[in-house]
Amino acid sequence: MTFKLSILLIPYLLFLLLWLIFSLVAVYHMIKFGFKNFTTFFTTFIFVAVSLALLAVSYSFLMQIDWDTQITIFENAFNAKLF
Amino acid sequence: MLSIYRLPNHIEGEKIIKVMRRDLFILFKKVLFSCLLFILPLGFFGITLLNYPDLFNNQITYPLVILLSSAYYLFIWLFFFFSFVDYYLDVWIITDERIIDVQQKGFFSRIIAEQRLYRIQDVASEVHGFFPTILKYGEVHIQTAGAKQRFLFHEIPHPEDVRNMIIKLAERSKKKHEARVNPAS
Repeated sequence: MTFKLSILLIPYLLFLLLWLIFSLVAVYHMIKFGFKNFTTFFTTFIFVAVSLALLAVSYSFLMQIDWDTQITIFENAFNAKLF
Repeated sequence: MLSIYRLPNHIEGEKIIKVMRRDLFILFKKVLFSCLLFILPLGFFGITLLNYPDLFNNQITYPLVILLSSAYYLFIWLFFFFSFVDYYLDVWIITDERIIDVQQKGFFSRIIAEQRLYRIQDVASEVHGFFPTILKYGEVHIQTAGAKQRFLFHEIPHPEDVRNMIIKLAERSKKKHEARVNPAS
């Protein structure tokens, strides 16, 4: 079976979308229901900053990969079953 | 946003006596668990690389490991932040007029309840277990007149002190309330 490596990005992007929605909900809760004080703003800022750092590191690693590469898997297993 | 200077249903002249959250040890346990989840894959990859040194040279395993690691760490970070949000947004406020219970349950459930101090009938504190006894945290149950549901201050530091404080404040509030209702007596 041959497929493009970029297929792997689809579930990852779906996960990112879900993650983003839940992150926004968590930040919304902090801003809407937290006390108006330094801790609320500081922890929210740290969350956003570390999240952005994680996304940036992920992006830098993902950019090094050639996503147009064609991958073949289960070829031998498939042939062995047929013959 | 909740302000310490502007509580929900603010009462004229009301003073905040104490704002409480769960004991810091509860937050520490969540931090420790998140740290464990953070370092777990490092150990896993260490052992895997020892047995399969060419793992990252493979055309498919390298992108898979990068995608899975990214998703895992983003998830753990969100999980940790939400654990903190859950801890931080559960607040119990004691004022000289009432007690306010603010509970965040999951992402989409929030409960705010309040009870006037003069309605309090019974206050009990409980400390169960090894860590609660050593670190002095536990529960405070507050029974109010007419209400079937009891107020529960969950895993708060120094529950006995809080119980004594509520009893004193409730007595004071009852006297004040009686003087307000029957000014002649």
